[in-house]
This record gives sequence, structure tokens and C-alpha cells, in this order.
Amino acid sequence: MGIAIGIMVIVALGMVTGGLKASTTSTLKAGAAEISVVQTGSGNYGSGRIDESRVTDLLNISGVKETAGTLRATNTSTSGSSTADVSGSSTGTGTTDTSSGQGSFGGFSVTGMDPDKLSLAGIEDVDGALYSNESTNEVIIGKTTSTNLDKNVGDTINLFGKDFTITGIYETGNFMTDAGAFMSLSTLQNLTNNDNQVSSIAVKIDENANATEVSEAIETAYPNELSTTTAASMASRMNTALNTIDTANWAISLLAIIIGGVGVVNTMVMSVFERTREIGVLKAVGWKEKRILGMILGESVVLTLIAAVVGTVVAVIGVVALLSVYFSGTIEPSFALDIFIRAFVVAFVVGIIGGLYPAYRAARLSPTEALRYE
Amino acid sequence: MNNGVEGDKNMDTEENIIEIRNLKKSYDDGKIKALNGLDLEVKKGEFLSIMGPSGSGKSTLLNMIGALDVADEGKIKVAGIDLTKTSKLNEFRSKEIGFVFQMHNLIPNLTVLENVEIPMYESDLSTDQMKERALKLLKSVNLEDKRDQIPTKLSGGERQRVAIARALVNHPSIILADEPTGALDSKTGDVILKLLRDLHEKENVTLVMVTHEPYVGKMADRIVNVLDGKIQ
Repeated sequence: MGIAIGIMVIVALGMVTGGLKASTTSTLKAGAAEISVVQTGSGNYGSGRIDESRVTDLLNISGVKETAGTLRATNTSTSGSSTADVSGSSTGTGTTDTSSGQGSFGGFSVTGMDPDKLSLAGIEDVDGALYSNESTNEVIIGKTTSTNLDKNVGDTINLFGKDFTITGIYETGNFMTDAGAFMSLSTLQNLTNNDNQVSSIAVKIDENANATEVSEAIETAYPNELSTTTAASMASRMNTALNTIDTANWAISLLAIIIGGVGVVNTMVMSVFERTREIGVLKAVGWKEKRILGMILGESVVLTLIAAVVGTVVAVIGVVALLSVYFSGTIEPSFALDIFIRAFVVAFVVGIIGGLYPAYRAARLSPTEALRYE
Repeated sequence: MNNGVEGDKNMDTEENIIEIRNLKKSYDDGKIKALNGLDLEVKKGEFLSIMGPSGSGKSTLLNMIGALDVADEGKIKVAGIDLTKTSKLNEFRSKEIGFVFQMHNLIPNLTVLENVEIPMYESDLSTDQMKERALKLLKSVNLEDKRDQIPTKLSGGERQRVAIARALVNHPSIILADEPTGALDSKTGDVILKLLRDLHEKENVTLVMVTHEPYVGKMADRIVNVLDGKIQ
């Protein structure tokens, strides 16, 4: 039971962190902007506003190849009359959406952006068509949004109290971006009363430019006005957090080995006690010590592997169910082979370590004493 | 018979399969002298009964012959093997000795067939060969139809017959039976004794049986009485 719980925790944490890691990696995909620029003092997620003229101003900074202004707002309802809750949140390169109001949490993030610049948000392919810059009623939605709201290309969706036609569905691999929607920048500016303002600027740099140096150049050119975050540092911060979880997972693995090992020792010592006479018979008929050792160790390993199977099955069912209920598919569980290999290696090691002492004890039993055992 | 078990064969004589000289064994730091300079010779193919009161040392003697225990002093040579010198006691037991205990000592979660196969796990026989040999023995004790049952479903007599089949499955030189009828009623006990004697004659295997019941002892070719760790 203890081993099954330990394995369950290892698999569950592995599946969740694996899913988050895959999403983080997608923020660094080729083509996406390397730098996100927000208003100074607005925090990482850019709750402030930047004058839209800065989008073209930044092109004059050495190393800047391309820029795109983005405005982000949170739509709190997708049917009937909607209320606009402008959060203007923006992260990293402007490709990720950290709005807390997504999916089943009560709303999802809508980003206004030039359709020609969507690659800077990590959107490369769209199933269907892009919205046009001039359109006032076209939108593309992420795959997760599509699934959650059961909306497809051609359907109508009500955003900020206005009906939009879904022209395409995109998938970036980033669970936050995929849980949002994109429309023309000017349309969103009008809908949220943010004319000529953006919440962040996505910056793509020249091939030979250094993201950190360009970031510093932007902040130097616009002191106390613009702050920057590089995609690499954002991903690094997320990876650091995920690595902490990963380290905790290893610590849990170690604890599982120790606690599970004690449990196995206890179980197997009891088993050897109960079967003392049986072991005496096996020695009487000529079984060698190593065969008895192997038998007890084998039983110990089988015991822990059965526990591993139970723990894994419970973890998979539990994680899939929890993520689908509480995260509505925004975080996809990872089914990477190494997660399951780790779980079964831990179970195997626990089986061997836990079975060693009882097996040694059984193998060293005196046959006459074992046969006399009541 | 040696069957490859290493040992000193110099003290062997042609007709004695068991030779014991001045055998001593004590327990509790010498406080209990189970065997106190015991001498015994058993001829090959003989049926010997060892009798004596409780605590006389007869079971200890049987354990010494079967290499389940080691002597403190003296010489004990069985089937040509000097048990005070060989280190391969497991191999000796596997090849030369078949045990029949008072409490059959079958493994409860294994089938009758698997119980009979157990001693052959240390041999080079294939799975099919082991099965074939075990079935042959089960047939000889009239339990072929019970092969797939577990021991708890069998009567006391049937369990002891399975134990006899298990004891014979490696074609041992000697069968050591410790009170084989002690846990059975007299009628079933007679059946078991007859079976043991028949198999001893048919297989030409030496049979050494410990008993405290005179009528059981009388079935043997020879009776020796043990008292205070010595043959009387």
C-alpha cells in the first residue's frame, strides 16, 4: 500500500510537470518573439499601457528586426451579453497568456494583434483562415478554447457583447496561448476603449543580435517607460520552478524507497516467519541458499511491481480526471516513457532492498530449527 | 553411490551405506547431550528401525544422517560421503536423501504435482522431465488423479503418500522417515508403512525409520534402540 502510494505520487507529479515542461518549451519555438516589452512598473504581465507609436519606435533600436503591438483583455463570458474585463495582461514575448481567467475559471484571454505578426505569438499554422486586419467581427481561437466551448470554424462566438465569426483554430503547444483567442488589434482597442494603446510589444531580433543586449538597449532608450523580459529568461524561470518540482519528485522517489523498503522488509520478514517450516523443507530436499535467496527476493520484487502497477493506474486515472475537471484540458498530462520507467525502477529497487534482509535470513535458516518451528 | 558429491571414501566398506563412529552432539552449550558417542552401521538396502523414548536422541541421529545438522565430534559417513568433511551438504541431501516427516510438511499453496517436483529444482532435469518423473511417482502411490489438488484438500494418509513420492523423486540412496505414521490413525498408518516397505523393496532403497511404536518397529529388518544418546 505504501509503495503503491509512493509510486502514484511519482507518476502523478511526473505527468503534470512533464506536461508543463512541454508547454514551456513551446514558448521558445523558432519564429516567436524573443523579447516582450511592457510599461515600467506594470509587473511582468504588463497590466499597464504603452502608446502604440512605440511599436514603430522600437524598430530604430539596433538589433530589432520586427515588432508587434498586442493588447490583451479577458472575456468573462462567451454567450449572451458579455462584460469586458480588460486586464491587459501580457507575458514574455507576448506569446503567452497568463490571465487567470481562462477556460473553466470563468473567462479566457483575448489578444488583439496584427494577423501578419501572429508568428511572433508562436502561431504558425491555423486550421481555417486568419482574421483580416480590417475586420471587426472575425476571430481565431485556440484549440483548447475550441474544445472547451465546443466551437469550430464558421461558428459564432460572443466576445465583449459582440458576435464574432470564428475563421480559424490555432495550436501552439503552449497551454496558456491555446486557451485564448486572437482578433484584430484595432477591433479589440475599440471594444475595450484602448485606442492607440497596447499592453505589450513583441520584439523579434536580428539573427546575430543578442536578446539581453537588445533588451538593455530598449530599457536605456526609454527609461522609466518600458521594461523588457526575454523569452529565454521567462522560460528559464518556469523551468526553474518545474525543476524544483522535479527535484521534489526525486525526493519523493527516495522517500518511497526508504518508506516502501521498510514496509517490504516488514512484509517479507513476516512472510519468512510464517513460512519458516516451509523453508526448512526446501532446505531438507536440497535447495541451495542462493535459490532460497532468489525465491524470497523474487517474491519481494513481484510484490513491489504489483504495487507499482496499482499506483501507476491510480495516478494516470487520477491525473487525467483532475486535469480535465479542474483545468479543462489546458494542461495536457505527459505520458513520457521515462516517468513510468522511473516509477518501475523505484519499485524494483524497493523490492530488492526491502527483500534482501528477509531473503538472507531465510537462506541462512538452520534446517533443523526451521523444521521444528511451530 | 556418490552421485558426484565430493568426500572422503576411504572409510567406506562395500556393504555399509551408513557408518557412524563415536558421534557426539550437544545443545545449549553442552548442557544437553543429544548424542553421546554413538556408533552405528547400516547396510545398503536395509530397513532399519530406530526406537527409543522421547529425548533419547533418535531424531537427532536421523538429522545427522540426513545432514540437516552437523556433529560436534566423531565420524559420520553416508553413501560414501564423509559428512564431517564435505561442504556440499545441500547437494548431498538433494541427491542421496529422501525425507518423510511425521507432519508431511507439504507446501500448502502448491499443487500435489508441484510439491513432488520441488526436490528436482536443483537438478539438471527439464520441466517436462520433472513432470514426467513426478507423475510416475504419484502413480506409484496411487495419487495420479490428485495431481492438481492442493494438500489441504487431501486426507492425512494421502498427504503422507505425497510426501513419500516427494522423498523418492530424486532416486535417493536412503529414505529417512521420522515417525511417518505418528500423525495418522492405525489403519492409515498401516497403509503408509506397507507403501514405504514396498517402495523400499521395489526401489532397493535403504530405509531408516524413527518410531516409538514397537509394532511399527517390528516391520523393519532390524531394530536399534537409542537411549541417552547411545545405541543400546
